[in-house]
Amino acid sequence: MSDLIKPASIILLVIVVVSVPFLQDSVNDEAAKFVSDSESSHDGLPTQWDGKQAICIFFPESNTHPEFSTGVTMIDSDGETIGVNDALNSTGACVGGFEGHEQGMDFMMDATRVAGGLLSVGYTMDPNWGPFVHTIGGLNVDEVQGDFSGAYWSLSHNGEYSMVGIGDLIMSQGDVISWEIATW
Amino acid sequence: MLDAHAVVLSPIEALFLNLSLLCIVAWPMWIAGKSLRPGNDLAMLALLALFATSGRILLDPLPNIQPVTVVVLLVGAHYGASRSVAFASVVAISSNLVLGHGIWTLYQALAWSLVGITGSSLSRIFRNGNAISIRRVGAVAFVAGFAFDWVVSISALHSIPLESFPVYLMVGLPFDLVHATGNLVFAAWLSGPLSEIMTRQSPQSKAVVEPVKNAS
Repeated sequence: MSDLIKPASIILLVIVVVSVPFLQDSVNDEAAKFVSDSESSHDGLPTQWDGKQAICIFFPESNTHPEFSTGVTMIDSDGETIGVNDALNSTGACVGGFEGHEQGMDFMMDATRVAGGLLSVGYTMDPNWGPFVHTIGGLNVDEVQGDFSGAYWSLSHNGEYSMVGIGDLIMSQGDVISWEIATW
Repeated sequence: MLDAHAVVLSPIEALFLNLSLLCIVAWPMWIAGKSLRPGNDLAMLALLALFATSGRILLDPLPNIQPVTVVVLLVGAHYGASRSVAFASVVAISSNLVLGHGIWTLYQALAWSLVGITGSSLSRIFRNGNAISIRRVGAVAFVAGFAFDWVVSISALHSIPLESFPVYLMVGLPFDLVHATGNLVFAAWLSGPLSEIMTRQSPQSKAVVEPVKNAS
């Protein structure tokens, strides 16, 4: 019996490891249902983006973006600047008005491209954990220095800390994702 | 984790490199452990800590598959709760020197300590006559995989709100399953030999050996 358990456990492990990506997909789908309603996450965004997808990048006070250093610039999906919202208590840019995106990473790349290089994204691919975003709009996390151990680009989904990385994020209609610098 | 000088290794190649290194580490340790004089339980603990630490670091390319949980469980069963707590904390700290130290180290040390305490309280149940019951160790190690991950997940409450915690745990379930199944493999392959050498070095075996020495 105990001789059988040795090969059997290895076979089981291989089956589990191979099926993890599929399990993860279905679990992430389930998790996406728990993300709170996207309505309030549109507060402060142009009303024409209601029910549509948007991404916001917020820069820390110590490292403001050279182009978006005051208020939050609203850029439409066709690349036109709609306006600047000075009432959001942070600086940066949002790109919105998209529809039909499902994969978080694809959406992020498509949406930031609209800003014509001003919001370009740098990331590394980790074989286990997927894409790791280190640079947005020219700000690399290593450049953020202060009274803390380190900084990272932190992802929120409809205003709440995202449970999954951008590579696993499943987007629904009207979802807003945002990135800001967090420290540890 | 590993960077070869001028040679770029694919993840699979890095994994094979690490597995070979682990064999190179484990084999002499196994010989050394077997040749220790009986009653040398502290040296045994040190060898096991080196094995668990290097095993965790070298298996890092495989997500959540590492021998520490099973080794801590067995240390608890053979050497008792207090030693397993010290053992678990040392392994958590030393492996995190390479893998990354942070607030999670505290929770990993806590969670592995709980595994060790569980092992010590189940030591009678694990025993099957003179040998160890691989099936029982395997069953407990499987459950411990989930329990360990959930205790470590508490560290996420430093950055996420409490109401998101159930979803956070749910998203982690596939990784918990990998940990649990990996534990089953380590329990199946390691609990027999490790239990054998640990029993030889247990504090009790000293008492058995010494009268024999005196008699000769």
